[in-house]
Amino acid sequence: MEISLIQALLIGIWTAFCYSGMLFGIYTNRALVLSFGVGVILGDVPTALSCGAIAELAFMGFGVGAGGTVPPNPIGPGIIGTLMAITMSDVTPETALSLSIPFAVAIQFLQTFIYTLTSGNQELATNALKERKFGKWRLFSNFTVILFAAVGFLLGFLGASSMTLLSQLVALVPQWLLKGLSVAGGMLPGIGFAMILSVMLEKKYIPFALLGYIAAAYLKMPVIGVALVGCVFAIKHYNDATEDREPSNLAVELPADESAEAGREDWI
Amino acid sequence: MSKDADLGSFNLEANADGHKLSTHDYNVTTLRSYFLQNGFNYSNYQGLGYGLVLYPAFKKLYGADTDKLAKELELNSEFYNTNPNFLPFITSLHLAMADEGADYDDIRGIKMALMGPLAGIGDSLSQFCIAPLFSTIFASLAMSGIAAAPLLFLVAMNGVLISIKFAVAAQGRKLGTAIVDKLSSKLSIISETASMIGVTVITGLVATYVKMNVGITFSAGAAAEGVKQSTVNIQSMLDGIAPSLLPVLYTALMYWLIKKKGWDTYKLVILTVILGIVLSVCGVLV
Repeated sequence: MEISLIQALLIGIWTAFCYSGMLFGIYTNRALVLSFGVGVILGDVPTALSCGAIAELAFMGFGVGAGGTVPPNPIGPGIIGTLMAITMSDVTPETALSLSIPFAVAIQFLQTFIYTLTSGNQELATNALKERKFGKWRLFSNFTVILFAAVGFLLGFLGASSMTLLSQLVALVPQWLLKGLSVAGGMLPGIGFAMILSVMLEKKYIPFALLGYIAAAYLKMPVIGVALVGCVFAIKHYNDATEDREPSNLAVELPADESAEAGREDWI
Repeated sequence: MSKDADLGSFNLEANADGHKLSTHDYNVTTLRSYFLQNGFNYSNYQGLGYGLVLYPAFKKLYGADTDKLAKELELNSEFYNTNPNFLPFITSLHLAMADEGADYDDIRGIKMALMGPLAGIGDSLSQFCIAPLFSTIFASLAMSGIAAAPLLFLVAMNGVLISIKFAVAAQGRKLGTAIVDKLSSKLSIISETASMIGVTVITGLVATYVKMNVGITFSAGAAAEGVKQSTVNIQSMLDGIAPSLLPVLYTALMYWLIKKKGWDTYKLVILTVILGIVLSVCGVLV
């Protein structure tokens, strides 16, 4: 089946919309939704539905990594896989799923790359603020989603118009670079944390820093647990601190009584 | 005044009850939680997004004071990571406190203390409970050939999530006003308490979110006949000294570079990326 230029463009736009939708949190970057769009554009909804459903159920096993870990991206089977199943008559939805996995993994590495690349955003945005250029600040704050839309469009468009070109591009990127970027991506959050701590951390909070480390690293507690442990000591501090501000009346009265008693005793 | 700021169209007078922000502003901010991840990156995660979400409300609060506006945006671009559907709780709380005149130092502690727990609750709820549920239901419907299934999935998911957003936003606003109103004398203690929790959570996150694993193993001792060669794994050795040692040390290095050497984020990012690639190529880090 031949795909017209208009269809390729539409698929590109659809991919751009769905992929940026992932950042918006509207759950459009799911195999089920992605393939539906491809099916509608190419006029073969039943095949698309099968592809989407199978991939959706398969990918549920992968789950979503908390904090930026890298399961394969649904665009692989959702767009590329569906394209293959619809345009190539001997490719079944199941086959399409397997064939699209390399793309899914490659696209996810691409995402890691984008997240690493945009790590300079904060600096660029802050500099824009210093120049009071709020429009520029907004541009940099939106940079990731802009890149996502652009990349999404390219993936959809290239996938639809030339599958071979896309495969060649995927093969181009050296493995060592991909792995290296992945490792770097794991180290980058340290910068963000260090920045906050550089502001928040005072001498009196050091025990709490240690507490958080122990709870997470040694006790392997999930984040809510760590927060609760922090609460224990923090609330205790709060209670102690507020008590100091409102000393109880009893403490004031007793010495007066005692001295009166002592005075009377002496008198006798 | 730069025309980008476009401040003239905002009503800068306080409302009848003395507050600058109206329910409309809170609703706009709640809807803007969709933009939380627009600037997502591995260095400050949703930090820039947070500033973006609060942008119109800040314009209203700080109006003509572009210096204050810029400062607030800069402060609010620091590291942030929470679930976008529960973010409205925090942003409403933030705005309510700011509207009552609270300082960012007080708000920051609470902001940081809340992000971890709400991320945990929010992700568990939306990613691991609601999403798989609807996903299974509508994928099965699609398999049976119901064409509208994917669209119904979107409607269901977003319907539930938007309800959560507005529900928590209302709670956050109530709490924010209460914190400053009734507890104003204790505000500094509260923010101190919140900072304590915040610091605990952040260092906990350092141990879990920053990933550095050494992949070097080598055999120890000479191989003798019939005796199994023992191997030494460096990562296990490090873990024996202290778990997540490298992430902590690396974050401490970043901290030192920021505080003592005054490095900016850009330099730190470049350093980290180069180090990451080099160490990965040499096989030191995997």
